[in-house]
Amino acid sequence: MKSREEEYREIFMAEALEYYDAMSRHISELEKDPNDEKALHELFRLMHNLKANARAMGFNDIGEVAHRMETIFGLIRSKERTFSGSLVPVLFTGVDTLGGMIRAVDQDEDVANADQLLHNLDLLVEGEEPILEPDEKNVDEDATRKLELSDLVYIQIKKLDHLLNLVGELIIDRDRILTLSQEIGSPALQAAASHLFRIADDLQYSVMDARLVNVGSLFNKFPRVVRDVAVAEKKEVELTIIGQDIQIDRNILQIITDALLHLVRNAIGHGLETPEERVRAGKPEQGSLTLSAQTERDDVLIQVIDDGKGIDVEQVRRKAVERGLVSAEASRSLDANAVRAFLFEPGFSMAKEVTDISGRGVGLDVVKLAIDSLGGQLRVDSTLGQGTTFTLVLPTSIAVKGALLFELEERSYAIPLMHTDSVVSLQPKELHVVGGILMARLLGENVPVVDLRQLLHNSDGALLPAVKAELQGRQDIIIVNYNNRKLGLIVDRFLRQQDIVIKPMSKPLDMIDLFGGVTLLGSGQVCLVIDVPALTRLFLAKRP
Amino acid sequence: MPEAEPTSEKKAVKQDKLIQLIVFRLGDEEYGIRIEQVKEVTVTPEIARMPKTPSFVKGIANLRGDIIAIIDLEERFKLRPANQSMPTMSYTLAIEAKEYTIGIVVREVPQPLSIPLSIIEKAPEFIQDMNIQDKYIEGIAKVEGRIIIVLDMPKLLSPTEIMQLQPK
Repeated sequence: MKSREEEYREIFMAEALEYYDAMSRHISELEKDPNDEKALHELFRLMHNLKANARAMGFNDIGEVAHRMETIFGLIRSKERTFSGSLVPVLFTGVDTLGGMIRAVDQDEDVANADQLLHNLDLLVEGEEPILEPDEKNVDEDATRKLELSDLVYIQIKKLDHLLNLVGELIIDRDRILTLSQEIGSPALQAAASHLFRIADDLQYSVMDARLVNVGSLFNKFPRVVRDVAVAEKKEVELTIIGQDIQIDRNILQIITDALLHLVRNAIGHGLETPEERVRAGKPEQGSLTLSAQTERDDVLIQVIDDGKGIDVEQVRRKAVERGLVSAEASRSLDANAVRAFLFEPGFSMAKEVTDISGRGVGLDVVKLAIDSLGGQLRVDSTLGQGTTFTLVLPTSIAVKGALLFELEERSYAIPLMHTDSVVSLQPKELHVVGGILMARLLGENVPVVDLRQLLHNSDGALLPAVKAELQGRQDIIIVNYNNRKLGLIVDRFLRQQDIVIKPMSKPLDMIDLFGGVTLLGSGQVCLVIDVPALTRLFLAKRP
Repeated sequence: MPEAEPTSEKKAVKQDKLIQLIVFRLGDEEYGIRIEQVKEVTVTPEIARMPKTPSFVKGIANLRGDIIAIIDLEERFKLRPANQSMPTMSYTLAIEAKEYTIGIVVREVPQPLSIPLSIIEKAPEFIQDMNIQDKYIEGIAKVEGRIIIVLDMPKLLSPTEIMQLQPK
């Protein structure tokens, strides 16, 4: 993996070379038709961008030349100069010099001295005649000039998506071939299959790698957003950004863009207090907001942390009862985590007044949906008076997901590891029926348990109250976790853990949201992938 | 119809357009589907049952890498006693509906049959299923004493069709 500086430098080089090509093209157009305003405008813009980029990267010599060139193009644009006479060769030399300097930077050579050119450009700005050298040297240079192609390729994300889909298909077939080769038992076929396995693996990781971008490419847009929101909300905010160089699939970053924007606006609008309130609470006037990214095993954790007033759990509890999401009685027994989970219910907004920035009725449920669609997790932690942390747990890549395979009624199902908390095997005596629901006590926590068979096959209406006598022998239970709610699913048998490629459910069955898709196992068997968010919702709706 | 029909009112059997049907048996009757709507006929692959679907949706199957839904029209139209099931060995017609491919299981090998378009008679209104908006029976053809019910599959398998039948 490259360092951030190296990567920025590569991007700068690619852009600079592209600018140089465009400059050469436009200046030739301008020579043909000095009144070509479009070409002139482009040249001005290119010089401006090159100047800004070069200065940001510390290549001040390039920045200086681009700056003076920009000035002259500006003068031509405002009709104070015309693109004619001695001005033309100077500008052509300018473009060539820029090209030479960019190449020198690329090859780590010293950048040639451009004093003569700079002087000439100054003279032109002041309306004096430049000092033109005899042409000999130029002719020589022209003859030896090399044509450069950039080392970087811009590629449409659509093409990468297609590539990724093809790799997904390949992986499925690869697993099938591997299984078949073992069944057939021919050593030559097995050798070929295992080679295919490795190649396909490499290919898959290469394609996934090509899709990775730095989280920074999104984070770096936030200083401006934070400033604007802070001004509108009359808050003082210091933004800290951590972990810009963590890498993540470009499409995942795209999908969470709005979610992150929402969380940041929320943090400033509702989380952080006004400077006066903060001083009264004994906090520094300036609120602190942190955007951080880090990797945790195969996942990427993105956090939005504020040191504002935190979430008032009692207020959320009252509101949840008001909204009829939970009965007043039941609400009292819920712990803080369970109460905070209500924040993600559709239309649940804590904003008392509608402001321009946040609280437009678009709640955290939208954020939640975006994260769900990626198979990720959204968590919230908060200490009243001290601040709130939203954590997004995201997969690095959308292609392959770790999954737990299990068997139910002689069919294989898969459940994404992202939503799997643990697996346990319990004897019936370790399970208790509380209010018609099976409960297991795990690590000091009461977890509701449901027979997955009943949940899947029960057609309409509520589930029947659980009867302990129906449990025979050891029960294999998968504990899933969604929105801070744990739920145990009784299955027939655990199979194994495996990376799977999820194919979307084929129409018209995609209307059944209980399944996030299907995958093909090495045996060719079709395996349904359980969608934990939908399953949890089903359980909540159907519980006795 | 693009071809220039003669204005004569006579039955011009020779000029009548022939259509090809794939004919199969459901219950006691014969049904036909226009061949262009049939993608392929195959021995029914292993079907994975799909919970939360109407019972006539048998599940999903892997058909050359495509995952398709498999439905049982006998069950859909209640053409066989409820306690009876499809034989273990059956055939699947992969049908191209508008946006997707869907499989229908049949008990016997489907047979192709060419018939003149003109012998397909419009089905009487009242046979059409009252619950379904689109009229999916294209007509009824009488061929040498056989009666073949010609189905318009894209209409029968429209997503709204399936949606209406979903348990709420």
